[in-house]
Amino acid sequence: MPVSFFSAYSRTIAASAVIVLSIWVFYGGLSAAVYPGLLGFFEWSETTWFGVIGKTWGAAFAFIEAIHLIALAVLGGSIIASDGRVLGLVLTDVSARTVIDRTHTLFAWSLAVLLFTGVFMACGVATKIYYLQVFWFKMLALGAGMLFHYFIRKPLYQYDLSELNPVVVKMTAVSSLLVWFLVAAAGRWIGYSG
Amino acid sequence: MNGTWEGMVLNEFVYNIAIWLDDTQWSTLLHESYYMYAWVESTHVLTLMVSLGMLFLIDLRMLGYALPDVPASKLAERLNIPMLIGFTVMFITGILLFYAIPVRTTQSLWFRIKMVLLVACAINAYLFHKRMNESVSSWDNEPRAPSRIRMGALLSLGFWSIIVICGRFIAYDWFDCRPDSAGFIAVLSGCIDGQTRF
Repeated sequence: MPVSFFSAYSRTIAASAVIVLSIWVFYGGLSAAVYPGLLGFFEWSETTWFGVIGKTWGAAFAFIEAIHLIALAVLGGSIIASDGRVLGLVLTDVSARTVIDRTHTLFAWSLAVLLFTGVFMACGVATKIYYLQVFWFKMLALGAGMLFHYFIRKPLYQYDLSELNPVVVKMTAVSSLLVWFLVAAAGRWIGYSG
Repeated sequence: MNGTWEGMVLNEFVYNIAIWLDDTQWSTLLHESYYMYAWVESTHVLTLMVSLGMLFLIDLRMLGYALPDVPASKLAERLNIPMLIGFTVMFITGILLFYAIPVRTTQSLWFRIKMVLLVACAINAYLFHKRMNESVSSWDNEPRAPSRIRMGALLSLGFWSIIVICGRFIAYDWFDCRPDSAGFIAVLSGCIDGQTRF
């Protein structure tokens, strides 16, 4: 029985709506109301163990930065292999299902390491990054990236890709690559700001 | 201060090249251009996702942690091209970063460790591919490669991880050449004039 466009992509549409809503909240009036209240949280985070270690031992901070980059490389590898396969650019003689499923575990682990090391680094310079617009942009991009990955890309890729609209599938792959490169670039730009 | 006589001559030679590069107009322009330098450095870092991303996938496949049901030789061969594209961009941007700050960089302990490890990685990659091509037909579909290949993959992961760490440490000045630098730091870093030029 044929399904309508909306029912086939209901989760995709719902997640897209959440992302659009988040951007609206971020750049609308709500974020301006919440922002001053977050300063106390950022000041507190500098007093935590992570914050104290990050501020006291520069070598520990730099080492964690490097681990963050290594995890970024693994995340990049998993995304490029799976989305590159969907786009027909790499591993074209391996089934897309195999590449997508097998790289997802790597993606999840590398994202977990990225989040952990990212929190550590943020605690060390919390009162600095609080005032940096690029930090908030990165948080928005990271949130959008995770929402996109788990609520749009993953559910969509669970279908038989040959039965989906190829334009939608390829757009998803391109969006996935772009959003994670955007997150990485925004993260690098934090280092140049402030 | 710089160890053996041969070491002093080599350090002097490298230092003079760095001074010559530093005196060129493009080096100064690149160093002092806020956005251009940042773009080059960002590209260098972001290309990690392509070059090391592909390399780590191949290494993890050999160790049995990634794509174990894809033939090892097929994965290595297919990911080779994007990996080499990534490394080419990383190499070019790395040279530009060196060119922007040549004098301090040549006297950086971390940069020197990084260069030695890059050579070690190249040798390891050559041996890894040689061993893989010699024996892959007997284990291509196995989820884990034989121990010799796994050792090569582990070395690759280890060397490249330390290279990333050293690359990150270059930005910090803990062991920069100074008049009061410890003797072994001065020897290893090849200190000649310290921070008279940045």
